[in-house]
Amino acid sequence: MNLTEEQIERYSRHIILQGVGGEGQEKILNAKVLIIGTGGLGAPAALYLAAAGVGTIGLIDGDTVDLSNLQRQVIHFTPDLDKPKVQSAKEKIAQINPDVNVNAMQDLFRADNALDIIKDYDFIIDGTDNFPAKFLINDACVMGKKPFSHGGILRFDGQTMTYVPGTASYRCVFDSPPPPNAVPTCSQAGVFGAIAGMLGTIQAAEALKFFINKGELLTNRLLIFDALTMKFRTVNVKPRPDRLNIEKLVDFDQAACDLKQS
Amino acid sequence: MKFYENAPTLIAEQDQFEKDMIEFAGGAINPIKFKAIRVAHGVYEQRQEHTYMIRIRCAAGGITPKQLKKVAELGEKYGSSEVHFTTRQEVQVHDVLLQDVIKVIRGLNEVDLSSRGGGGNTIRNILTSPLSGIEEGEVFDVDPYAISLTTRMINEPDSWNLPRKFKIALSNSDEDTAYTQATCLGFVAAIKEGQKGFRVYCAGGMGAKPMVGHELIDFIPENRVYHVTKAIKIMFDKHGNRRSKYSSRIKFLWKKLDRNEFLKLFYEEYDQVKDDDSLNLDIHEIVNEGIDPQISVESVDSVEFELWKKRYVSAQKQEGLSTIKMPLCLGDLESKDAYVLCDFLDQFGDNTIRCDRAQNMRIRNIPSKYIGNLYNIVKSMSHTLVEHAPFIANMINCTGAQTCKLGICLPRGLSTELRDKLMHSDLNLDAIPEFRLNMSGCPNTCGMHHIADLGFFGKIGRKEGKIYPAYNILAGAKVGAGKTEYASKVSDLPAHAVPEFVYRFLKHYIEEKEEYSSYHEYLEKEGVELIKEISAELKEVPLFEEDQSCYIDFGAKRPLRLDDMGAAECSAGMFDMINVDRKQMETRIKGLDDVSDVEEELYRILFHTSRMLLVTRGLDASNEQQAFAYFEKHFVQTELVDISNADLLQEAKKGQKSYLKENKQRVIKLAEDVMALYKSMDDSLRFKQSPKQNVAEEKDVVESIKKDYRGVACPMNFVKTKLVLETMSVGQQLEILLDNGAPIENVPNSVKLEGHSILRQEQSSEGHWSVLIKKN
Repeated sequence: MNLTEEQIERYSRHIILQGVGGEGQEKILNAKVLIIGTGGLGAPAALYLAAAGVGTIGLIDGDTVDLSNLQRQVIHFTPDLDKPKVQSAKEKIAQINPDVNVNAMQDLFRADNALDIIKDYDFIIDGTDNFPAKFLINDACVMGKKPFSHGGILRFDGQTMTYVPGTASYRCVFDSPPPPNAVPTCSQAGVFGAIAGMLGTIQAAEALKFFINKGELLTNRLLIFDALTMKFRTVNVKPRPDRLNIEKLVDFDQAACDLKQS
Repeated sequence: MKFYENAPTLIAEQDQFEKDMIEFAGGAINPIKFKAIRVAHGVYEQRQEHTYMIRIRCAAGGITPKQLKKVAELGEKYGSSEVHFTTRQEVQVHDVLLQDVIKVIRGLNEVDLSSRGGGGNTIRNILTSPLSGIEEGEVFDVDPYAISLTTRMINEPDSWNLPRKFKIALSNSDEDTAYTQATCLGFVAAIKEGQKGFRVYCAGGMGAKPMVGHELIDFIPENRVYHVTKAIKIMFDKHGNRRSKYSSRIKFLWKKLDRNEFLKLFYEEYDQVKDDDSLNLDIHEIVNEGIDPQISVESVDSVEFELWKKRYVSAQKQEGLSTIKMPLCLGDLESKDAYVLCDFLDQFGDNTIRCDRAQNMRIRNIPSKYIGNLYNIVKSMSHTLVEHAPFIANMINCTGAQTCKLGICLPRGLSTELRDKLMHSDLNLDAIPEFRLNMSGCPNTCGMHHIADLGFFGKIGRKEGKIYPAYNILAGAKVGAGKTEYASKVSDLPAHAVPEFVYRFLKHYIEEKEEYSSYHEYLEKEGVELIKEISAELKEVPLFEEDQSCYIDFGAKRPLRLDDMGAAECSAGMFDMINVDRKQMETRIKGLDDVSDVEEELYRILFHTSRMLLVTRGLDASNEQQAFAYFEKHFVQTELVDISNADLLQEAKKGQKSYLKENKQRVIKLAEDVMALYKSMDDSLRFKQSPKQNVAEEKDVVESIKKDYRGVACPMNFVKTKLVLETMSVGQQLEILLDNGAPIENVPNSVKLEGHSILRQEQSSEGHWSVLIKKN
């Protein structure tokens, strides 16, 4: 692939950077990233990955834009209310960087479609807001041997880790989802908007590092921060072979308040 | 009691270490310099970057229950929640992050333990027979000497900067259970004319180039231990080889000087101090007595308890007291188990624990009536081998590539696999309780394979250009003062075949054992042949494409890869790879007259010639074409070998084998040149002559490129320059035209920062600049 004049200029700050260069930028342009959830975490991740020139971005989210989302989900604007989130995000990405090809899927990420969806991507970003989805993403990526970035935020706290096949997975840290309602959701406990940006951009940076193959990923480490004290720390975690042996995917129970009465 | 007294300067040294650590974290100290600083504090980086392990000195293998509990607490708080027992009779805390290292070290101060000198070029942990002081039939207890010598040595500032590490061991009898002949300096307890003293051995050591220690002095009085040690230390300091860390141990000094010269230099130092009584160590006898805490006696009545007693409990020479071997799985004691155990042992006093060289604990001075109490505690622990036969508990392995940057194989994984296989087999392992099965992940001897009855050390196997984990098999070490012999190499095997091999071999040995007076007789008459036979049956490895499992080590996630090994530190593995090609090359040259297809044979010779040293450049060619191309680029064009050979490689690349036949003598000469180059290589893989850098300029093998960036503003001119450089090959030149002003002030500097060279920079009469760049 040869960079066009416009691309050389657009990505010049990457190309100048030791560790990225033209070669690294080409890798980014060929990269395929799936972002699951186009909310607090998915929004900043999508913005930065698009700006960086990630060739293909997949977006999957079943929701539409709600007024309460706009406090932190920065890819959606006020005129987008009630629009499917993936469509709103796709429109913004096209405006940021026409190089990017977006696959927008207005759907839920479920046990029955998970493996089929992730197979077309090189790196997956977990931007979901509930434990069942997080465990499903972990299990699908472990089964499908796909690297992914786990991320979670609540109140003023954030946590993230990166999995590549062979390293500790989310399940090596947390065995199984907590019982429904044991941990409050963002809609119950609240979330400090800016930390969505802090964490989502860390996830985007991990994805980009993965593609340019530079530095150290957050593998076998869980990064935790508290925005109130602004303290960051990493906790070492070990791969646990017994928890890396995933044989089938399941949809765990949703928190009760999220269940739609049928 | 204490097993050593730390130097008064230790606290200040730790403060300095903390400052250095902060500077390192901020980037002000580079990693290599920091390595030298931290290693001297017993802090090693694990294979996972930025994760450290801390090695804690335990002189004579001793640690008090209170101390051990503290180590366990520090492990739980800052590391991997376990205490790791090493093959050097000391303990380690693993998985500590940089910011917590100093907290662990300061925590150790609270119980008078120290990690100072855990690594680096200094007096390492001083070892003794694990049952010294309590063993029936011993000459006398040597622990007091190890303890006092440790305190003396770690208080002498000149102990910290020796040419290389200095290991000392003391045995309580001629059985040499401290392996003094495998140590830099060893003392074996002896009585001569009613006087206590020692026979002294020197210049032993295992490692990749093992040597058995020599007798230095037949007998010294017991109060001269320090004098001998000091003389050797000074002599080593003066004459040791500081240039190459691979040949700097005392054993190499002996080899270089030979016996007479070594003794002469030794006596020059020893004679100066040997009559100075003021240098005598303060020796305090250690009392091995059983404190009776008057707790309620727990009596146990079960078959398991009786079996455990038979296997692991023995009587001390002190009446009514017992010593217990506490087998640990892979040397790990979980923190929570340590708390329970230490609280219990603490009731019996400070002198209750030793570490042994099989990574097990040896508990002592327990009044025999409390054995049931101890059994109940041990049984409740989560991670021990108490229910296993002593054979299993005695197996030794280093941590291997899991944490060690030198490792090739993963002996921990192998050990686990072996344990599972043997435990579920029909073998009566209780028939061979003393059998030593030792494994190391690489030719270094952390797993003590040299002193094994059956030993293994990791190597690289190769099949059709793919590498797989493998082990060399050694057998038949003899241990004993004056009669030590290391195990010799018998055969080799893919890692995956080792469990089956061990099973078959032990099955035969256990069955035939009674027929022979000793294991060595068995080996001589049958065993060695059997090892060769079984390994021949098991040595086949399927093609990588057919079955990858043999290429993935036990406990590994993916096939073995060269680049997993530390760049400068994997020399051992590299030599293995080089030898594969070297042997092929030599054998084929020798047999050249006897083969029918000379063309093909020359092609093979040229291939092995080309591939042999690629590994020293971090390259691994998987096929002939690649080997020829890499060799031409990195050895011929750089003139490490004669550049006139380029045509051979170019024709070989095209498959013109007949051309090689026409130039038969030149192909052979080239192979010889590469051999000579290999011989000139030092242990750091550097050649005597350095590769030529300016090949492109002289030979014009690659054309230079010109680009005109006049009228292109900063930083786009640099962006474009960089993009062009990325597409070029190393050594190739790029000439760019730049405007005067900001472009010429910035671009060449940025290019240099990328690591390339500016060969020339000239301003034209019109004002713009021409800059000639060489890609590096």
